[in-house]
Amino acid sequence: MAKAQATAFPPKNNKLKLRIFNLTSGFDMHFFILLMIILVVGLATLYSASHVYAFNYEDGDSYFYIRKQLLWVGVGLVGMLGVSMVDYHILHKFAWVIWILSLVLLVVALIMPSSTGVHRWIRIPGLGQFQPSELAKFAVVLLFAHIVSLNHKKMKTLTKGFLPLFGILALTCGLVVLEPHLSGTMLIVFLGLALMYIGGVRLGWILGLIGVGIAGVVFMVFVLGYEQDRILVWLNPLESFANEITFDDGISGRDHAWQTIQSLYAIGSGGILGQGPGNSRQKHLFLPEPQNDFIFSVFCEEMGFVGALLVLVLFALLVWRGFVIAMKAPDKFGFMLALGLTLQIGLQVAINVAVVSNLMPNTGISLPFFSYGGTSILMLMLQMGVVLSISRQARMEKL
Amino acid sequence: MANEKKTATTRTATRQMRRRALIAVVLVVGLFFLADAVKLAKLQIVESEDWQKRAVSQQMSDTVVSAKRGTIYDANMESLAESAEVWKIIMSPKDISAINWKKISGADVNRELTDEQALQFKREFIAKGISEMFSLDYERVYNQTGKTASQYEVIKSKVEYKEKTAFSQWVSDNGLARAFYIITDYKRYYPQGTLASTVLGFTGTDNNGLEGIEYKYESVLAGTPGRIVTAQNGIGDEMPTTMEYTKVVDAKDGSSIVLTIDSTIQMYAEKYLAEGVASAGCTNRGVAIVMDVNTGAILAMATKGDYDPNDPFAVADPTTAELIATLAGDEQDAAVSAARQLQWKNKAIVDTYEPGSVFKVFTTAIGLEENTISEHTSYNCPGYFVAGGWTIRCHKHGGHGILDLPGAISNSCNPYFMQVGMKMGGSTFFKYFTGFGFTEKTGIDMPGEASNAGLYHTADVLNKQEASLATSAFGQTFKITPIQMITAMSAVANGGKLLTPYVVGQVLDGDGNVVSTTQPQVKRQIISAQTSERICTMLAAATNGGGSKNAYVAGYRVAGKTGTSEKRDITDSYEVVASFGGFAPSDDPQVAVLVLLDQPQCAVRFGGTIAAPVAQKILDSILPYMGIEPEYTTEELANLSRVTPNLENNSVASANTKLANIGLKATVIGNGSTVLKQIPAAGQSIPAGGTVLLYTDDTENITVTVPDFTGKSVTQVNTLASSLGLNVRIQGLSVGGGTSAESSAQSVAAGTVVPKGTVVQVNFLYNDTNDSTAVG
Repeated sequence: MAKAQATAFPPKNNKLKLRIFNLTSGFDMHFFILLMIILVVGLATLYSASHVYAFNYEDGDSYFYIRKQLLWVGVGLVGMLGVSMVDYHILHKFAWVIWILSLVLLVVALIMPSSTGVHRWIRIPGLGQFQPSELAKFAVVLLFAHIVSLNHKKMKTLTKGFLPLFGILALTCGLVVLEPHLSGTMLIVFLGLALMYIGGVRLGWILGLIGVGIAGVVFMVFVLGYEQDRILVWLNPLESFANEITFDDGISGRDHAWQTIQSLYAIGSGGILGQGPGNSRQKHLFLPEPQNDFIFSVFCEEMGFVGALLVLVLFALLVWRGFVIAMKAPDKFGFMLALGLTLQIGLQVAINVAVVSNLMPNTGISLPFFSYGGTSILMLMLQMGVVLSISRQARMEKL
Repeated sequence: MANEKKTATTRTATRQMRRRALIAVVLVVGLFFLADAVKLAKLQIVESEDWQKRAVSQQMSDTVVSAKRGTIYDANMESLAESAEVWKIIMSPKDISAINWKKISGADVNRELTDEQALQFKREFIAKGISEMFSLDYERVYNQTGKTASQYEVIKSKVEYKEKTAFSQWVSDNGLARAFYIITDYKRYYPQGTLASTVLGFTGTDNNGLEGIEYKYESVLAGTPGRIVTAQNGIGDEMPTTMEYTKVVDAKDGSSIVLTIDSTIQMYAEKYLAEGVASAGCTNRGVAIVMDVNTGAILAMATKGDYDPNDPFAVADPTTAELIATLAGDEQDAAVSAARQLQWKNKAIVDTYEPGSVFKVFTTAIGLEENTISEHTSYNCPGYFVAGGWTIRCHKHGGHGILDLPGAISNSCNPYFMQVGMKMGGSTFFKYFTGFGFTEKTGIDMPGEASNAGLYHTADVLNKQEASLATSAFGQTFKITPIQMITAMSAVANGGKLLTPYVVGQVLDGDGNVVSTTQPQVKRQIISAQTSERICTMLAAATNGGGSKNAYVAGYRVAGKTGTSEKRDITDSYEVVASFGGFAPSDDPQVAVLVLLDQPQCAVRFGGTIAAPVAQKILDSILPYMGIEPEYTTEELANLSRVTPNLENNSVASANTKLANIGLKATVIGNGSTVLKQIPAAGQSIPAGGTVLLYTDDTENITVTVPDFTGKSVTQVNTLASSLGLNVRIQGLSVGGGTSAESSAQSVAAGTVVPKGTVVQVNFLYNDTNDSTAVG
């Protein structure tokens, strides 16, 4: 039972072999404990937020969501610990495969019939539904880490550095945006740009890209009029809710603004100390699907500003610890991978909270480890397993 | 695809990568988190209260529970206005989608409906059921079912118990309970119909008082509505167990009001006033007020025509209603509105009129009080009087000659009182005019009392313009309200105290405990008790044979004065107000009566001929009712009616004796020795000296045809009646009234065939009662 990092790096030969570490060979306990705390808080919140909705819409089964989520978290925990035992370098082998697979799945999702015009899911009978964009996020992080770690010296060049990464990003986002999945796209773009920057791509090109992107968004929204309704609600939630604003699609402003307003009611009612655990009123069928994207509103109502701040701090600590793991990672691949995966969590939390508090337009993004979603939480936990695996080989003080 | 050779070249991250990683984490995550935290702080700390308020307003269903409005009782605790429980039916269209359409009776459960079809089916079923049940417009109800954002659509208010029960049954039969609820409400009833309607007023759709006592005492009667606040979830259901939150604030029922008005007195006042208004053909309604002279309590206050407070918006006057029916559009609306405003008006306090000769009572009082005249003061009436260059005529153009004060009152002589007025002077006159309350509102506890400010001559004018003083002295050229008149009349009667009139005697709380009792309020002593007594004596003489003799009531000394005043503000026709103001008994005054007929159209329209008889009938009915013992003079006793004893089965001899003992005559019919039947029957009231027919065998009733008694003198009537064998009860004849009376009405119509001995009441009216103050 050798020390993990002692034998892991650098590989003795050029062969990339599957190496399995002992579970107890020591991953970063700080990261693991933070994760466990977040998971427990997330599960408790999910139960509180979902039981009324479940009782009313799942044949009186108050435990419908929490039961399924617990099952997936259980599977996820086993998976996470399993992944943490595998030397992450094996992922070099799958970087391109996973990315291509994610593109294929995105195309499959696009082809799948949908009643709502939204093609985000692939339904697997018996297992539920799976969002290919969840996989795409991971695929982009992995592929970028793979490329950056291999081609680091050429990152400053246009053809070997900027363009391949930009191409990968553009292709992935292009498919995600077609679903359409705005928040998913946004998340992948932010993540991709951050990784390009960290990976060593010239800042000028990135800034240029951001500039073009912003111009594009402004053009789409203000000239072509895309997503006008969303913007209107974002800027005037109360006026929309009071039907004082007319929407082109014939749907009332009240219906447009319903989710945002109910979320604001919930958060605002929370005050500083909250209504107390379990005491949210807004989850009583005011807030639509309180177990999903807007779960944090219910948490804010029950636990108040203090509770909300605590959760943000927990996530910030997790991201920070992920950053520390990255810094201590034995190689560029581990560095990029750990950074990408923790940044992904951080960004998703930041965007989710911004959406539920109407700091950003409502785009539909879940809160990691809180929101209900079987495959989503499994994906998340497997990714955390990768971070833990990296931490095994990182040069850091073990608990 | 993974190149194994390349993977071997990995090394740790460069300095630049580390630096950039830190920047990225701090920038993207750190700043983003900070922005989130700031926004949350804004929502949860700065704006929390506002958001919470908004959230609570949707989380709480707040139902108002109506308070029961207090009852209005008459002086004997008889209900005049009361509230009964009714129900309000509310629909929550938002919840219609949650109803199981298969539970609706008549639904074809084997069919499969889409959500949309099911909703349509439910909406149509509900609209049809409700529109048929409550006779509502189908389209209206159907549209209401479509307001899916609403949880509060009023289907029908004031639903009665029976309807409500039927509705509840229908709802439960069809499984619709989710979308309907029923709220308790109250409806106002006026059990006595039109009685005292202009005093009571009425309430609107929200049970709020709109007129009269209902309006004036809104805050007392209304009570405080209660509330039921319940926490509800997003689909309008009650919050489940742990979240349950219900706060009930009980409705506080309104206080009740006990009026000083006595239903019986009010009923007589209204009955005889209505007859008077109808027979005189008044075009501007009439007023009768009965007041307790010692307290100022109003015992009756009637205005005719009036309306039914149970249906206040209906035009009550049939003639007006007919006229309105012929109009169209805006014209009709305007006419309806005007008719309503008119019928709701309590003429007794909101109209002003020129009192005419009735006011001579006060001129007399001032003169006596100030010693400018006495009973023996004599003036000459040449048929006119010249004041300030104006020649003002008396109603008797030839003049009354030399008159003393009682004579002047009895004859209602205008020149006499003009001279009395001139003698006392404008300042003195105005001092008492104000003292009697003719320049201020009486302060009666009713809404809308009119002010007569600017409608009378000031002291200044009276001093400068002789004509104004002279005409004022006999009651013309100024206007007062009927309530001012009766209040002042009460002051004359009660020994000189001007009181504040009132109609609310007591306020009772919801449990019937007395909250407050109105105490009689004396404003001031305006004349001495002696002066009061002297006037009472003179006015009693006026009714007993004088100008006011049509107000004579046997057994009671009625003091009073009649008046016929010209309505000088109506120029295109000659209109008058005929009135009588007086009180009884004159030796111990208890009640004052004012009868006022506005714009009578009959041929003889003097106050003495049309208003005094109304007052006489009212007093004749209410004085015995009030327990005021009659005191008959010997003459009256002689004329007094007798009650027939029961003589059946008596021997003829014994019957004869019994009748003789009480001053009745007997006519025996048949040959039997025992009385089998008598006419009039036992217990009938007939005049002394009347005849009772005693049937001793089975002889058919001897019948007679009732003749037309009207237009005959008392002697003629008596002669005719006794020749036919009828008994006549005479009414309205004063002992000293002279022979000028003519019978004006009879209780059994001429031409009717009745048994011999039947009692026929004949009403008499004096025609020599010119009391006109019309100037010119």
